[in-house]
Amino acid sequence: MIPDLAQEGRAQEQQWVPEPQAPVVMFNNVGKTYGRYQAIGGISLALSGGVTGILGLNGAGKSTLFKLLMGKLQPTQGEVRLFGTNPWKNPAPYARVGYVPENENMHDWMTAHEFVSTFARLHGLTRDEAKQEAERVLEFVGLTDVMHKKIGRYSKGMRQRAKIAHALVNDPDLIILDEPLQGCDPLARTTIMNVIRELGRMGRTVLLSSHILSEIERITEQIVILHQGKLLAIGNLHAIREQLDNIPHTIEIECSNAKSLAKDVLNLEVVHGLQFPSPTKLKIFTHHLGEFHKRLPKIIVDNEHDVMVINNPDDDLQSILGYLTGGFR
Amino acid sequence: MTDEPTIDASTPVTGQSRMDAAWGSESSDQAAIAQPVAQTGQVFEQIYVPWQGTLNPRWMRNWAIFRHHVLGIVRKGHRPWGVPTKLVLIFVLIASMTDVALTLLFAVIGEPGLYELWGVGRNNLYGHILGFFPRNMLFYPLVAALLVGGVISEDRSNGTSALYFSRPINRFDYVGMKYLAVATIQSFIIIGTLFLYYFVDVLAMGRGWAWILDTFPLFLTTVFCALLLIITYTSIGLALSSVSRGKFFPGIALLAVLLGTKTLAAIVQGLFDRSILYLISPYDSVAHVGQALIGTNVVYDHPWIWSLASVVAINAIALYVLSVRVSSMEVTRE
Repeated sequence: MIPDLAQEGRAQEQQWVPEPQAPVVMFNNVGKTYGRYQAIGGISLALSGGVTGILGLNGAGKSTLFKLLMGKLQPTQGEVRLFGTNPWKNPAPYARVGYVPENENMHDWMTAHEFVSTFARLHGLTRDEAKQEAERVLEFVGLTDVMHKKIGRYSKGMRQRAKIAHALVNDPDLIILDEPLQGCDPLARTTIMNVIRELGRMGRTVLLSSHILSEIERITEQIVILHQGKLLAIGNLHAIREQLDNIPHTIEIECSNAKSLAKDVLNLEVVHGLQFPSPTKLKIFTHHLGEFHKRLPKIIVDNEHDVMVINNPDDDLQSILGYLTGGFR
Repeated sequence: MTDEPTIDASTPVTGQSRMDAAWGSESSDQAAIAQPVAQTGQVFEQIYVPWQGTLNPRWMRNWAIFRHHVLGIVRKGHRPWGVPTKLVLIFVLIASMTDVALTLLFAVIGEPGLYELWGVGRNNLYGHILGFFPRNMLFYPLVAALLVGGVISEDRSNGTSALYFSRPINRFDYVGMKYLAVATIQSFIIIGTLFLYYFVDVLAMGRGWAWILDTFPLFLTTVFCALLLIITYTSIGLALSSVSRGKFFPGIALLAVLLGTKTLAAIVQGLFDRSILYLISPYDSVAHVGQALIGTNVVYDHPWIWSLASVVAINAIALYVLSVRVSSMEVTRE
């Protein structure tokens, strides 16, 4: 067999034009199996514009989904379309894509400015354009002042931002971020989240994967939940939550006087039940988590409760997946 | 009274303020750091300014890959070549110019007998490119081994090939430009010094057009043989680099292939007085073709056309392995 090095040759056409009216990303009944193991099974979805969070536990199929999108995998069934074009071994649509892979590997010997401008040149920018655009995106991700330092000396958060900058240098319409917040310190997370939000606000299509719901929640309301290669839920986060409100949410509060606080919160109609694991701990059950959290601060302040910790132990992806699959607790 | 600069709504947003805050962060102390920043309402605000340019064509992208590798030899901020590689390149470059220096020396001191020994001639042109010792025993294979070492294997092991292939670059261009870059650096040493050797002779001895017309075809033939040598070494080297994940194996394996096959063939010839096994030696196959084309004394028994076929076959196999490996890079678990 002759290897397909040219990959259909369409990659090099500067005149490559995306199919008009086509969604930016489309999966039509896409399945991918590795031998007898099914990584993705019959997923259909279309996305255009805004930020979409792809949620799922490890092995849910998030990375497989991205690999299918980036032409690194061929679907076993169905069709994948990127700007209306099949991305399998066809890098032409990548002129409009910015991809931030999950792995840590970068050109550590380069400064962020060199790194970003090098990859800008791989999009066909001239030397001057590349320098200018590198500065633009590094300013955007907040690395202007350290852009002449070697990436090898960067913290995890700064590396992540440099990776995002290199993905934005061609001003892409679609940005794919695989676990962009993993291992970042809180302030790096804040910056990256703001970057993602701003891109979504600009109308760019942003896909980001995570297994931490709270992170996604701060960036977007549009989520796709995958579980064992199946599409479990898609759409507005609150709409999905609404369906989950049949099952009471748990809120754990650690305070100096749990009984006094219990007396005050019991007046709220949204509270479904209470538990006292210890004299300083209160467990509250509610069907309306958002509404409860809206009212809780006023109760604490008005009644001068000394609250140390407020925790939602079942407000994570694991729990939601459990609810959605009907196997939780 | 504090010396710290005040930040208000009119303060321009700069990366400085953002980085100051980010560096001051600790995971356990998020609120304490973030609060004064949040009061200004703009420190973490990211303003995206879209790019207004257009993407340039294929050759611009390919040129970027090529220069990234070649400029790394002399400048920072490009592909980093190790210090040993750079030192060996300098050493081999200087050592390859010994005939240039001696030609110049004897031309200047006017010693025709010694000049004849070192000046441009059929045997010396062959020797500059295909002489076994020291050039093809030490210099050129070592240069090739050091250059091809991590060119593809490091991209594979570091995962940086994923960054390349998320660009509108096809694999042919990716590997083609790497090939061209490695071949260009070798050409600079091998063919560059050959050019210098020839033109120093022309200038130092004040050669006329008749001499140039007489020797130039020979010179071009030598350049062709040099290209054959460079292409063969690069093909084998990059094929080995593509099947490896480190830079040590491809380098050592290239030296083993080049010198091992020659040693084996030499042993067989010593025992059985047959030169046929030299067909498996890339160096000897190119050398045999070179001897036939340049017109020096042929030291092999078998026809030179067999050696040419061997060179073609060796390159075809190496390029096939290279293309198979590169076309499967970053394509996972199919």
